Amino acid sequence: MMSEKFAKPGEFTAAEAMIIYGSRMLAAFNGKMGIIGIGAPLLATHLAKLLHSPDMKIIIETGQADANPEEVPLSIMDSRLTYGSSWQMGDPEGLFPLMRGEIDFGFIGGAQIDKYGNLNSTFIGSDYNKPHKRLAGTAGAVDIGSFSKATIITMAHQKRRILEKVDYLTTPGWMVKKWPEGKMVRREEVGLPGGPIAFISSMGIMRFDDKTKIMYVDRFFPGVDPKAIKENTGFDIDISRAKEADPIEREELRVLREVADPLNIYKTR
Amino acid sequence: MKKSKIISLTEAMQEVKDGDCIFMGGVVEDRRPVAAVYELIRQGKKNLILLGTSSLVEDMLVGAGCVSAYRGTYTAIGAFGISPNTKRFVEAGKIVVDDIGHVDVCMGFVAAMAGSPFIASKTTFGTDVLNPAYDNVAKIRGLARNPKTLPAKKYVLMDDPFYGTGTVQLHPALKVDVFINHVQYAGEEGTVRMDGSLVFDHFACHAARKVIITAEQVVPEEYLRRDPNRNQIPCTSVDMVVELPWGAHPGQLLNFYDMDVPFIMDYVGKSRTEEGFKQWADAWVFGAKNQEEYLNKLGASRLEKMRALPPYGYRPRTRGGAK
Repeated sequence: MMSEKFAKPGEFTAAEAMIIYGSRMLAAFNGKMGIIGIGAPLLATHLAKLLHSPDMKIIIETGQADANPEEVPLSIMDSRLTYGSSWQMGDPEGLFPLMRGEIDFGFIGGAQIDKYGNLNSTFIGSDYNKPHKRLAGTAGAVDIGSFSKATIITMAHQKRRILEKVDYLTTPGWMVKKWPEGKMVRREEVGLPGGPIAFISSMGIMRFDDKTKIMYVDRFFPGVDPKAIKENTGFDIDISRAKEADPIEREELRVLREVADPLNIYKTR
Repeated sequence: MKKSKIISLTEAMQEVKDGDCIFMGGVVEDRRPVAAVYELIRQGKKNLILLGTSSLVEDMLVGAGCVSAYRGTYTAIGAFGISPNTKRFVEAGKIVVDDIGHVDVCMGFVAAMAGSPFIASKTTFGTDVLNPAYDNVAKIRGLARNPKTLPAKKYVLMDDPFYGTGTVQLHPALKVDVFINHVQYAGEEGTVRMDGSLVFDHFACHAARKVIITAEQVVPEEYLRRDPNRNQIPCTSVDMVVELPWGAHPGQLLNFYDMDVPFIMDYVGKSRTEEGFKQWADAWVFGAKNQEEYLNKLGASRLEKMRALPPYGYRPRTRGGAK
């Protein structure tokens, strides 16, 4: 029976595991209100609504309140987000609930993450005026990561993306810059609520130490060697607390593949 | 009889002057003034300053060499990746960039709408948005035709004198020389009805010196006035109206059409190089004199496949919708 309920490593992709564990993280937020970024966070949220938390209320930054898309959207202002919403306004109405302190959780991606959960989605390199790589900019991530009561981060696990220090601090994690000097301080010191509670990669689930706020490996996905997580991380990450994550259920895979994203729009397989 | 604000696209785009600070409605690839931007490129605009984002339409202006600076929150085209021309030009140091937060854009427009010079918030604390080394506002001000459209400083920090909540940031109002907005419906006097996200547009229309509306359909003004609660931009804030069917193609327009994914993929792919963008622009911008020629070139059957269906307002994927 066990073998029928659970999928074995090799029967799912790393991207599918990332989405499925992301959706499980949202089981704790049934009945709560969140702001979700487009891409992997949105697909994981879509799956969570089907499997774990049907009463989650989703706000989208282009001003949809309680969005209920029937098809996974391609874009942050996709027409698919409008139909079925309670309210359709614009970006101010979509984002201001964050600053009013109403948002229980935020779910976002990024290009680089550092050991304190700070994200960079602005540029890679050392010269702002002639960057090695220009990225997307602040978009909604900075505001979601600043004001949600809890933030969940998701992105693929790659050595060049998970670093000691990000090139540009776009979205505040636990240790942030206090201006005008730019001194690194705890986020509470600049008046920010919340903070990142977990980073779900394509290899495992990272959390942040209660005291030091430094990222450590909490769970590795079935089939992943925790040493491989260490090798694929750009700083010396603590794997001493790592345990194997609960296995993926076949039903989770079925709902992801057949219901949430039947056409593989998000290319998870 | 009241004066009609309807003019031709050519005349409307002539109102955009080299060095203007421009802001464009919609966001990413949705409800964007694409046909208007094609005309700006044909008219050879120079040194435009982009406010808000550099996504699908702004990126086309960058590729065509119409842009000197960008001040905003987003330089990507959603699922299609980083805006390819913007990426190329920024990495070569050819346009000046000043990043601000998403809520900073909202705040700036709220202040401008209220006629207030600035507004306070606690956004972007702890981030490099506030890093003085990355503050290019003065440099961008130096490039503007109307320097006073841009603030003298990026921000000021001060203590909250009213509720004692600690440090707050004062954001300057976000002012605009010309706002170009593609919408579903406009009346001949300029009343606007948008479907779907209003993005920043219901605020931006009050922050701009000139407001140009391109409308999918021009409908009788009287029709829109039967239900004024459904209108989001008043005729009193609009200067010009241009009728431009399929004016947001290849993006989406809620209740009219879905996204032309292959077209955007082709744009993004070609725009990775200067020669590629030139090839794309020769085919789709300079290869058509106007919107009519552009639509003929696309062909009726291609457009027909993207038509939105009720009640969704988009084309469901089971009926060939965007994927």
